[in-house]
Amino acid sequence: MPGVHEACRHRFRRPTLTGSRLTAVLLVLILGQTLSAEDDSFEKQVRPLLIKRCYACHGGTKSGGGLSLETAEGWRRGGESGPAIVPGKPAESLLVEAISYRNLEMPPRDAGGKLPDEEIAILTRWIARGAPDPRGPSQRLGGMSLEQAKSWWAFQPLPSVTSPATAERIDQFVQAALDERGLPAARPADKRTLIRRATYDLTGLPPTAEEVDAFLADDAPDAFERLIDRLLDSPQYGVHWGRHWLDVVRYADTAGENTDRPLPHAWRYRNWVFEAFNRDLPYDEFVRRQISGDILAAAEPARQRVEGIVATGYLAVARRFGHDIDKDLHLTYEDVIDNLGKNFLGLSLGCARCHDHKYDPVTAADYYALYGIFSSTRFAFPGCEAKGQPRDLVPLLDQAEADVLLADYQRRLADYERRMEVYPREAQRLKRLAADARRVLVESAVGEGQSVSLHEGSLHEGSLHEGRAGALARLALRRGEVLQLVVGPNGGHGADTTLVNWQIVQTDGQPTARWEVKDLIPGFTQRGPLLHVRNAAWCLLDVTDGPMYLRERKRQVAGQPALSAWSLGDTPSVVVNAADEPVAVWTTLPAQSVFMHPGIMRDVAVAWICPADGQYEVRGAVADAHPSGGDGVTLRLEHVAAAEYGQGLLELGKLVTGEQTPRPEAPEIPVAYAVSEAEVKEARLQLRGDPEQPGDVVPRRWLSVFGGAVVAADGSSGRRELAEWIVDQPLLARVMANRVWQWHFGRGLVATPNDFGSRGEPPSHPELLDWLAARFQAGGYRLKPLHRLIMTSAAYQRASESLGPQAEADPDGRWLGSFRRRRLTAEEIRDSLLAAGGTLDVSWGQAHPFPPESGWNFTQHNPFAAVYESNRRSAFLMVQRQRRHPYLALFDGADPNSSTGLRQATIVPTQALYFMNDPFVHQQAASLADALVAQTDDASRLRLAFQRLFQRAPTAGEEQLAERFLAAYPGAMHEKWSAYARVLFSSNEFLYVD
Amino acid sequence: MRRTPLPHRRQLLRSAVAGSLLFPGIVQQLLADDGDKLAAGLPHFPARAKHVIFLFMTGGVSHVDTFDPKPALTRDHGKEIQADHPEIKDRPGYERIFLKRPQWDFVPRGQCGTEISTLFSHVGSCADWLAVIRSMHTSHSNHYNATLGMHTGSFAFSRPSLGSWLSYALGSENRNLPSFVVLAPQQTYAGTQVYANDFLPAEHQGTLVVPGAEPVANVRPRVPAERQQMELEALRALNEVHLEARGADAALAARMRSFQTAFGMQRAVPEAFDFSRETAATLESYAVRPGQNAGFGWQCLAARRLVERGVRFVELIDTGSSGNWDAHGDMLSHEGLARNVDQPIAALLKDLRQRGLLDETLVVWTTEFGRTPFNNTADAKGREHHPWAFSSWLAGAGIRPGIVHGASDEHGLRAVENPVHVHDLHATILHLMGFDHERLTFRHAGRDYRLTDVHGQVVREILA
Repeated sequence: MPGVHEACRHRFRRPTLTGSRLTAVLLVLILGQTLSAEDDSFEKQVRPLLIKRCYACHGGTKSGGGLSLETAEGWRRGGESGPAIVPGKPAESLLVEAISYRNLEMPPRDAGGKLPDEEIAILTRWIARGAPDPRGPSQRLGGMSLEQAKSWWAFQPLPSVTSPATAERIDQFVQAALDERGLPAARPADKRTLIRRATYDLTGLPPTAEEVDAFLADDAPDAFERLIDRLLDSPQYGVHWGRHWLDVVRYADTAGENTDRPLPHAWRYRNWVFEAFNRDLPYDEFVRRQISGDILAAAEPARQRVEGIVATGYLAVARRFGHDIDKDLHLTYEDVIDNLGKNFLGLSLGCARCHDHKYDPVTAADYYALYGIFSSTRFAFPGCEAKGQPRDLVPLLDQAEADVLLADYQRRLADYERRMEVYPREAQRLKRLAADARRVLVESAVGEGQSVSLHEGSLHEGSLHEGRAGALARLALRRGEVLQLVVGPNGGHGADTTLVNWQIVQTDGQPTARWEVKDLIPGFTQRGPLLHVRNAAWCLLDVTDGPMYLRERKRQVAGQPALSAWSLGDTPSVVVNAADEPVAVWTTLPAQSVFMHPGIMRDVAVAWICPADGQYEVRGAVADAHPSGGDGVTLRLEHVAAAEYGQGLLELGKLVTGEQTPRPEAPEIPVAYAVSEAEVKEARLQLRGDPEQPGDVVPRRWLSVFGGAVVAADGSSGRRELAEWIVDQPLLARVMANRVWQWHFGRGLVATPNDFGSRGEPPSHPELLDWLAARFQAGGYRLKPLHRLIMTSAAYQRASESLGPQAEADPDGRWLGSFRRRRLTAEEIRDSLLAAGGTLDVSWGQAHPFPPESGWNFTQHNPFAAVYESNRRSAFLMVQRQRRHPYLALFDGADPNSSTGLRQATIVPTQALYFMNDPFVHQQAASLADALVAQTDDASRLRLAFQRLFQRAPTAGEEQLAERFLAAYPGAMHEKWSAYARVLFSSNEFLYVD
Repeated sequence: MRRTPLPHRRQLLRSAVAGSLLFPGIVQQLLADDGDKLAAGLPHFPARAKHVIFLFMTGGVSHVDTFDPKPALTRDHGKEIQADHPEIKDRPGYERIFLKRPQWDFVPRGQCGTEISTLFSHVGSCADWLAVIRSMHTSHSNHYNATLGMHTGSFAFSRPSLGSWLSYALGSENRNLPSFVVLAPQQTYAGTQVYANDFLPAEHQGTLVVPGAEPVANVRPRVPAERQQMELEALRALNEVHLEARGADAALAARMRSFQTAFGMQRAVPEAFDFSRETAATLESYAVRPGQNAGFGWQCLAARRLVERGVRFVELIDTGSSGNWDAHGDMLSHEGLARNVDQPIAALLKDLRQRGLLDETLVVWTTEFGRTPFNNTADAKGREHHPWAFSSWLAGAGIRPGIVHGASDEHGLRAVENPVHVHDLHATILHLMGFDHERLTFRHAGRDYRLTDVHGQVVREILA
């Protein structure tokens, strides 16, 4: 991989913006100025000082006391107290008076305090020299002046790090900030607290009792470091930290357009993220692959190539909009650009869609320069109401591999079709045979919603050919003859779901033999459209043009696992509900039921082949089970009195059902929901963000504030360059180091993790952030060493106790005097409940059980909607965009529609209702009670419960509370302990991590 | 006004006794009822309305068949017209379009004489209280987008719902009931997004009530009351020990209180939906049979009861995303849909008025868009989506009664006189609740967001 990037580097026009060159490049690039010697001294000494010490209050949009020090014009005009500088006369200059702390005191004590003497000297000397100031009137770049943009703290190069990567360095920064404010620090947390904190922190799961015991017994000085290493090695680490990442990239399993189509392949990206965290893929590489993995890996061996493609799922999972996705693609590109900016750079680029950014140095032209890169990229298409089927999914096999599979399939298919040639001829022969030998026993219309019995006189008078009751009670049949129940559309068009009950009893056999259509239900999908039951056989047929087997297998009809069907096309079909309860879909299908569904102008039949000569009786009823769907159906019960017909059906059935010739199934070529290169298509500026109002073409390039390098004209989209430009920004390490810090401490050093621009919060500990970011970068962008560094600090290991005075001075804990207690996240709560109940499945989920694509007919009137239950970790739950997962929505899960930089942790009574009354909580409590009841006595039961939930033993006081509760609570032992388990689940100790 | 979310992690209270926070008294103080959370927020100016009942008809109600009489449309039935309409652009079979007459008669109603069609004859009997807007228009002709827009002011992206904004702005009056309740038998277009809090704090999300046996999830106790009380008592004891060991942590205390509130909700929520104390006459007026727990009449009566109990914003959605007013096939389906809502809505208005609640409750009736006054043949039975003109009405607190505002052209094609966009309707609702729509903002992702984005003008002409 490095080789590839080295090669690329020479081809990109990529300025390396470091140190003061950033300033110079920007000035030359945008103002077209060159620097004189005098200017050079100003640039090297004075300007950096002004930026560092004064701009926060007297620069950009801020002009404290009316004074701006951002331009020469600014200090000449001065503020409320008059001009700030009298050139050549330091003694008369208010600025010198202020920085010397005479009368005025600038910078104020609470904003850095008095400057060091040498800095005062620099400014004084500069004013004495006549205050030469090359800065012209303020030029603007989006929402900032150029001055402000190039001096913006977050864009500055990272410092070079010489101090070793030790946690002591972190604590020095933290301690300095505490000392400055006279704030105390809490005592170190005890070991029990520490292992619970660290285990939730790195894996999102509670530690087991054994893990706690082992850690408590480990007195070695490096016990905690080894604990961290063990947790970082756990596969559950990647699931938990990968889920953090999925928050930021607003991952979802549906597209979000008007029908909210499922994304059956998006899981590959999700799992790739988890796996990338587990093997500590360097962050820069992680970023490169998500933006351009397909391009980077094009020349790699298969495994890497697959990985590269799957990684670009990051781009593909962007939200889709509207009725026809292709018509609202401009909104999807905005979603991509907006997320890319917030995610990797902490910049709100999406704001520049309609106009130049109001606060940050981003222009609308910048936005459309990036837009062109994505309009030159092909995004996998999930399907939508206007265009039903997915397309542009990216195959994960190369052409040669796919060709081999396809060639084999085509050979087998040709073979099959050759053998099947006999089929239509044979069907025609049987049709003629049936026409000659057929006797209609019953014939009737079945009105809408009506039920018609074969036997008991609910037939319309005259619809029977002959003495119905007698004939159905005493049928003489010979072996091989066939009874055939035919359901057809009424009036020649409509077709309806028709419920059939049909029994055939041999009355002269010993013992009495009996068949019914419900015999079809067990093993319906496996056994095919020809089923042998007790020497007889059932055949599922379309009899419109001779008997044709319903040979297409359908599982999960309408997305319901209980429903399956055999059909030819959509209809005619025979459908069964194999569940022990009704299933409500287009209509309600009763438990354990069989349906026939005719097609348009097509008759469906169930045929029964008689096993032995004898006397038979037939009963049953046929009901139109979908009352609002048409005009009813017709039924016909036929006796085909020709043994050759039954024999023919069996032969034909063998051919179809694969006893001799299975129909080969098309090879499944694995695909990813990902992106690929498309034809280059530069974007036009869209006035007010409206694609109907196109402006000038904007060439594809990088943001002008970072140099504006352009994409190579080699026919590629520019994603490869874009990834490099992003990775080269000092923002990359700053933003990610801050996220990592935030996910450990609950609050970032920058409290607005997705916004490092002027509307974001400035860092609480700027030097610490820079040091961490620089270490992260110097360490090859690996996260695991960063976790170790942070977690071994004293700041991380403090108790989460309240400190009186600190509480007042630092209500939201930003100065890190004690550890922030935190509520578990939605996923952690559910996973902990499963763990406590002993039912957690830690294996990784893959694809969700979505209905098969071929059956999708989602519309905005009938959008996709599902909640899939599982005992896997919650990171594998199916996340829908249009209808939020009810559980995740209740506990502040991530927003699947836009980047979640920081989860909320609300406390609302509906959450309490969940703990009190939700069936899932009750189930897990009962499951925990199973384990508790198996213990020998109440003391060990309570100990086990406390260990599972709180990882500690109960105190004497808690034992008494429990005893009292158990004694008073009515019911059997299991009931008592289930109830107490619910109490413990609902406790604050369970929900909060100290 | 810009309100920032309450610090939800650790809201430490300053001790009245100088300095330490570790006195046991503080723990008690934390556990005591937190008046601040309950207190209603302060509006920008005196509010005209305290509650909103928002009646949303899913699918697009035809304006020319309900609240916007068009004699010229009857006169010109069958006449070919030209229109650069989003629903016919590039649509095969729609190369030519023809005017199609209304299918119901309009009758002047009440003292004011506002003409309303026979589809809404019960609502017509309340004409003297209504301000009918006949010049509504919207920004999209798709159900999904127009429905999202009508609820959130955004026609593509997820944003907080109108009800969430008002909950956020004003808080709740009743700690045992949510401040924003949505009663809907099914999900409408755009799913849960229509009542989502989005980036606003989670307590402002709409609580979904699905008419039926258990209208709010998990509100029915799964163990008998005395057992549940024992569990909650044991929980409190456990949590108190935990809290005292940890000093004053407002979040821990708030969570303990949330169980008390939840316990109260188990009574208050079923009580709000228990109509057994309503008189037979009241039930009959809403067309609700005793014991019935679904239907639009049930929803309307529930709305009155929720408003009585201090719920801030109640939305009633009549149908789901299919089987609704979307009459492409046959306009006659409007008949049944109107019958479903007409009498209950009139009963609601009269009931509110009789109880003096109409003075403090704003009732809004709307849909996501209108239906085309044309089709591709004059005798086509249905009508298509029509974002250019439709009708909504408001009644109650702060509304000038018995008026018609704005007008569409003679065929009901375009809103021509005093057009009112969805954003304007939102601005007006916020205004009546005491808020300047330009100042009710929330800082999110570096930007101050508002319901009306950069649009919206209060429709002053309909204010009393």
